[in-house]
Parts: sequence; C-alpha cells; structure tokens
Amino acid sequence: MEETLLRISEVSKHFGGVYAVNGVSLDIKSGSIWGLVGPNGSGKTTLFNTVLGLFRPDEGTIYFDGRCISNLAPHEIYALGLVNAFQLPRLFPGLSVLDNMLVAARGHQGDRLLNSLFLRKSWQRQEAELADKAVEALELLQLEHLAFSQAGELSGGQRKLLEVGRGLMASPTLLLLDEPAAGVNPKLGRRIFEGIEDLRRKGLSFFIIEHRLEILFDFAHWVYVMDKGKIVVQGKPEEVVENPAFYQVYLGE
Amino acid sequence: MDPLVYVLDLVVFIGIFSIVSLSLNLEFGFAGLANFGKVAFVLVGAYTYAILSQIGIPFYLCLIAGASISAIVGFLVSLPTLKLRADYLAIVFLTVGEILRLIVKSEDWIGGGVWGMTVSPAISLAGISARIDTLVNIGLVYFCLFICFLVVQLLTNSPYGRVIRAIREDEVAAEALGKDRAKYRGQMLALGSAIAGLGGGLYAQYLQFIDPYMFMPMLTFTVWIMVLLGGPANNWGALLGAGLVMLFDRGANVAKDYVTLAIDPSNLQYIMFGALIILVLLYRPQGLLRESQVKTKAMEIVRRGRDAVKNK
Ligand SMILES: Nc1ncnc2c1ncn2[C@@H]1O[C@H](COP(=O)(O)OP(=O)(O)OP(=O)(O)O)[C@@H](O)[C@H]1O
Ligand SMILES: [Mg+2]
Repeated sequence: MEETLLRISEVSKHFGGVYAVNGVSLDIKSGSIWGLVGPNGSGKTTLFNTVLGLFRPDEGTIYFDGRCISNLAPHEIYALGLVNAFQLPRLFPGLSVLDNMLVAARGHQGDRLLNSLFLRKSWQRQEAELADKAVEALELLQLEHLAFSQAGELSGGQRKLLEVGRGLMASPTLLLLDEPAAGVNPKLGRRIFEGIEDLRRKGLSFFIIEHRLEILFDFAHWVYVMDKGKIVVQGKPEEVVENPAFYQVYLGE
Repeated sequence: MDPLVYVLDLVVFIGIFSIVSLSLNLEFGFAGLANFGKVAFVLVGAYTYAILSQIGIPFYLCLIAGASISAIVGFLVSLPTLKLRADYLAIVFLTVGEILRLIVKSEDWIGGGVWGMTVSPAISLAGISARIDTLVNIGLVYFCLFICFLVVQLLTNSPYGRVIRAIREDEVAAEALGKDRAKYRGQMLALGSAIAGLGGGLYAQYLQFIDPYMFMPMLTFTVWIMVLLGGPANNWGALLGAGLVMLFDRGANVAKDYVTLAIDPSNLQYIMFGALIILVLLYRPQGLLRESQVKTKAMEIVRRGRDAVKNK
C-alpha cells in the first residue's frame, strides 16, 4: 500500500566551496509524516529548495511519483502535487490573507486567461469550494478573523501560519514544511501538528523540517538526521533519540 | 471654433486616453510590469490603422488589425525579457518605443516619414458638420472603451487577476506556487498592448492625420501620470486619472490660443506634470483611488459565513 513518493538519489548542491547538500539519498513513502532534523546550516532548507526546483542539483537525481523532476521548473513540480511552505514566509504582502490562500489552489480553472473571462460559471463553482476550504484552514491556524486583512500587516508568527496555510490550500500529494511551528506559540504549534495528522489520515503525506523536536517526534513516523550536508542517522523517533550519534550532532553532548 | 466642439473634442480625448490608461494600469498596476514604452504600442495601432484604411479596408477591421499587430509586438518584446526581472523590462520598453518612432520617421515608405500621413475618417457619412463628426467619434470611442473596461474589470476580479497581482508582489513565491510567470507576463503584455493599439487606432482615426512627432516619449509619461494619479490597480482610477490629466492637457492647449503668458502653456504643463507626479508619489502613493480587492464569489462567501457566526 505504501509507495515511494519522493526519491532523492545521491543529490549534492554546493555554493562555491560550501557543500550545503553532499550526496543525500532518501525515500519518502506515501501516507506518513517524515521528519528532517539537524543543526543550523546542515543543509535542510537547501535540500528542500533543490527538490522544489528552486536550485538545480549539481549531482544526483530526484524522482517524484516515479518521474524524474530534477530538470523541471518550480511551477511544473508544484503542478505535480509536490508543494512547499517556506522557512521564511514569502507572502504576497499587498493581497488579503484570503487571496493569499486562494491563489495557492492547485488546478484552478480561473487561473487561465480565457477561462477567467469565458468560463465564469465553472470557475465560480470551484471558487466557492475553495473559499470553504480556505476558511477551514484559516480556522485551524486561528487566522480566520484576519481573512480580509493585508498579509503585509500580519505579525511574524501569523505570517508563518499563513505560509503553512497556503501549502495546505494546494491539496498537495506531498507537502514539504520548513519549520511550521517556528515562531508559533507552543499550544498552537501542537495544534498545527494535530491538523497535519488529520490530513495525513485523509491521505496526504508530509516531509517536515522542525527544530521543535518535542512536537515533531510525537507525530513523525520516520526521522532523518542531517549534519554537514549528509544524512547521518535515520529511524523511528523513539530509536533516533536513543542513538548516540544523534546526540552528538544535534545536542552536542 | 464652435465652443461645443471644444468640449466634444475633450470628451473624445478622454475616451481614447482612458483606453490607453486602462492598458498601462493592467500591466503596471495589476501585473507590476513597468512598461515605459506604452507609446510604441499606440504608434503601432495608429500606423496600422492609417496604412490599412488608406487601402480601403473598413475601419473596424483596421482597429482590430491595429490591436492584433500591437499585441504581437508586445508579446515579441516580452520574449527576450522573460528571464529578466521586471525592473529591466522598463528599460527595454523605453528603448523599443524610441526605436519604433525613429523607424517610422526615417522610413518614408511606411507612413510618409516626417511628413506623416492622412487618415480617412471611419464613417464618411459624417462629413456634414464638425459636431456630428465628433459625436460619431464619441460613440465609437466610448463603445471601445466600454468593451476594454469590461474585459479588464472581469479579468482583474477573477482568479487570473489574483495570480497576476501575486506575481507582482513576489515573482519567486508565485513560481513556487505553480504560477508560470513567463506565461503570465507574455499574456499581460500582449493584452495590454492590444488595448493600447486599439487606442492608437482610434487616435489616428479621430485626428485623421499622424506623424512621428505625435509619438514622443512624453505620451508614455502622460499615461503614467494618469495611472499614478488615479490609483494603480484600480480600473476606475485609471479612468479618473485619464479624465483629470486630459482636462488639464487640453485645457492648456485651449488656453494657449487665448492667454499670453511669459511661458508657453504647453511647456508650463510639462513642468506642472512633473510636480504633480512628485506630489502624488510623496503624499498619496496609492493614488486617488486605492487598489480594489479581488472581488469574486469567495469574498462574499467568507463574509457571509463570518456574519452568520457573529449573529449567532
Ligand atoms: N543561496 C545560498 N547561497 C550561498 N550559500 C547558501 C545559500 N543557501 C544556503 N547556503 C549555505 O548552505 C548551508 C546550508 O544552509 P541551509 O539553509 O540549507 O541550512 P538549514 O539546515 O536549513 O539550517 P537552519 O536550521 O538554520 O534553517 C549554509 O552554510 C548556508 O550558508
Ligand atoms: Mg533552514
């Protein structure tokens, strides 16, 4: 039943002399929550950005759903259902919170020039469904009262939440979340992960970078530990915490 | 001259420039594409109209051809710039405007070079009086304006409008959310140029004469003032800006015939335009009318849902 969704094979990415990602291979299978942890600067975000097509890998190949995506543009990768929420939120500050959510919807008919003018009936129907979905997600993220505020007026934590919300709006097959609970209060951080768990039961898969291990390890099924561009430890959360190598790279003890 | 004709003439000019202003507002206000070569597309529309009407093609086909060719030129110019950031686009377009003007100026065979060319009126029936002539033009221009306004208003209040605004706000984020910015940029420039080309055709048709000196960069800047003053990303603002600036512009032209100042009123007008832009950008950067939100069903649904919760 579990199939490999994302396969990262021998991927490297360097910036000048810095090997941010150095020969990483890993598999993400469907139906679970996968964690990625590691010290600051260990290459986690770079790995995500490479998967998303924002960086071209210097070496290695990336497959999504059995298809090589290493040479696709970011918007093409997104269209396949591989979606991301950035570590540093990149919102559309002049647009309302609601519009930020709606614009992230995948496969909206009204996104096309001629449809937007001539197929108004059919995209309006879609728009209505998306509005309900957006409200549901905004409620989870406790942003529903700000639906009509400009995204540029949100607080730092709220921006982070909206970034996650946009990822949810895309109805992805696999959602990459880069520190979804960072800068969010502990109670809400946990609620977000509970929301993620609900979505997982509905069939979504997640690959999550998170420094808040006390939350992540309660929800993740498998954790990869990265250090200096390499995967050094992997396993179930309860195994990883027992692993001395994990303590050494991450907690420095 | 008949004073009523002055007023009717002003009304025609406001209509034509409203069309061009809507087109720049679509590109710059909504899509964030700083087109500093707007005049190039007005020129393409005007010359296409003039040349085709001279060989006896009916006026509506000339207008459509002017818009289409202008759209093609707009799309072609967008191609080499698709990988560039939006800022560089501004310079490319500024250059294109001047190049096209210099071409029609030096290539006599296109449109008479510096001598310009005369354009036959759209509907020859209307040679009876200047008033009727102008009224016919008002009908034609405002019909076209209505169509253009309808298109941009529907477009900018649709999911498509939301996407182009998102690309304006952050190109990379929009790309990461599945929006092919090169495609949208090409489409916006083609559509914006088509509308500007239509405006150019109407301009040629109304004035019944064109020459390269009518397509100086100043025309681009005049349209920019309209958009900045009226309020970028607000279609009503584009109309308001066009109305106010044209009132001012034609007013100065009329004043020129009646008053003697130490300075030529049309030069004075340039100075005042410059001052106006600075004042608007300093004190009201959002323009007279603010950016309008994307109005779709989603907005109503969310608002209604929220009111229902409140009333419980
Ligand atoms: N665009 C870039 N240009 C140059 N160097 C970069 C770039 N992006 C990342 N790096 C470098 O790559 C290394 C890995 O950075 P990355 O952002 O992937 O770390 P991270 O694991 O996400 O860390 P954190 O937990 O702090 O977010 C760092 O040394 C960083 O300086
Ligand atoms: Mg990071």
